[in-house]
Amino acid sequence: MACANATRVSEVALSVRGPDGHEPVYAMGQLGERLEELQFTLGEGPCVDALTSGGPVLAADLSSPNSLRRWPYFAIDAAAGAGGIFAFPLQAGAVQVGVLALYRAQERPLDAEEFADALVFADAALVLLLDAKAGIAPDASTWPADGLSERRAELHQATGMLSVQLQIGIEGALLRLRAYAFAHDRRIADVAREVVARRLRFAPESSLTGDS
Amino acid sequence: MAREQQVAQAFVELADTLVAGFDVIDFLHLLTQRCVQLLDVDAAGLLLADGRGRLELMAASTEQARLLELFQLQNEEGPCLDCYHTRAPVACADLGTAGDRWPRFAEAARAAGFTAVQALPMRLRGEIIGATNLFRVAPGRLSGRALDLGQALADVATISILHERALREQQLLAEQLQTALNSRILIEQAKGVLAERRQLRMDDAFTTLRSYARNHNRPLSDVARAVTEGSPDVAELTHPTHPSQRPGTE
Repeated sequence: MACANATRVSEVALSVRGPDGHEPVYAMGQLGERLEELQFTLGEGPCVDALTSGGPVLAADLSSPNSLRRWPYFAIDAAAGAGGIFAFPLQAGAVQVGVLALYRAQERPLDAEEFADALVFADAALVLLLDAKAGIAPDASTWPADGLSERRAELHQATGMLSVQLQIGIEGALLRLRAYAFAHDRRIADVAREVVARRLRFAPESSLTGDS
Repeated sequence: MAREQQVAQAFVELADTLVAGFDVIDFLHLLTQRCVQLLDVDAAGLLLADGRGRLELMAASTEQARLLELFQLQNEEGPCLDCYHTRAPVACADLGTAGDRWPRFAEAARAAGFTAVQALPMRLRGEIIGATNLFRVAPGRLSGRALDLGQALADVATISILHERALREQQLLAEQLQTALNSRILIEQAKGVLAERRQLRMDDAFTTLRSYARNHNRPLSDVARAVTEGSPDVAELTHPTHPSQRPGTE
């Protein structure tokens, strides 16, 4: 609700990436629900593109020639009920967990402030989803200090290193990193620094070894 | 006074159109209609310059083919073209005496029944995007007040178009920037993978990544993504083999 109000859109919807593409998880209202389902069914639309292109897709006018060209089946159906869709991938590099979609009844682009707000909400949603997967309970006191919006290089380098050490994917590595920081009550940036400096190594089978 | 109420009403109406949901052609058409109504002219057209500086007709108060042609002719010669190039209003009170100023245009205009023409620049600060074209059947120039009002209407059109363009470009830039930022993260993750796999320093990992991308003529972020996914097609990068390290040669 806060997101919808801040960005002055009609509805907000959240979907997560599943094995068959993105699956709707939450929708504020019927419009969002219908359009999320439609994109999932058709396999085309701004939310789909947001994940494949790795960046936001801002389609302020679904009835424009540009929109009709990009999503021939989706745009025609969607334009009947919605003016525009703004899709923000919930991502950090190779880690993509879902999409935050903003639906607007009118064909009006997001202004700079609304766009910035949407990014903040997308980051928050990303952190919440990651924490949920890592089994970390949402805790208002630690967020947003450890939000991924800090985008520190070391954090992402450590993630890469961990994925090799643990022989798991990048997303799994990020989850492990966050879980470790949480379990040891340490800032994730500090843990990342240790990993990159090779003072802290992770090993498979969830045993952790420090440099002794 | 009824006249001033009409003017006020016209501006309110235009402003309403801007806020509700912007359809450029619809808006410009409305503008040309208001020009005819308020400026005491008989026809109005709005031309915008395309990317190459050619003037294209965007909206006209009348859709009569012959008259449309009249507007479009001004791609090659005419008051609008002059107006666009000089960035200043251009007028002719009597096309019959225009001489060789715009021979083809003057002839076509008179054939269509028009005697006088006025072009007003659509301009904002340094940028000129087109011109408004006003035609009259009777000879003569527009009054000072009508000219002021006509320019004000042209200015409203200019501001709204530039604003809409700026918003669209802004959206595109915003998309691109966020995508680029995410690519950066992807590259950092790939650096980490390489650094660990091959026991490299981070800066060497980056150099290795970049060299590979260049040698194989692939975008850097593509290669980075492949590295993070453990894709076999970058095996040469992530699992380089030396003769002494080949499996089975222990």
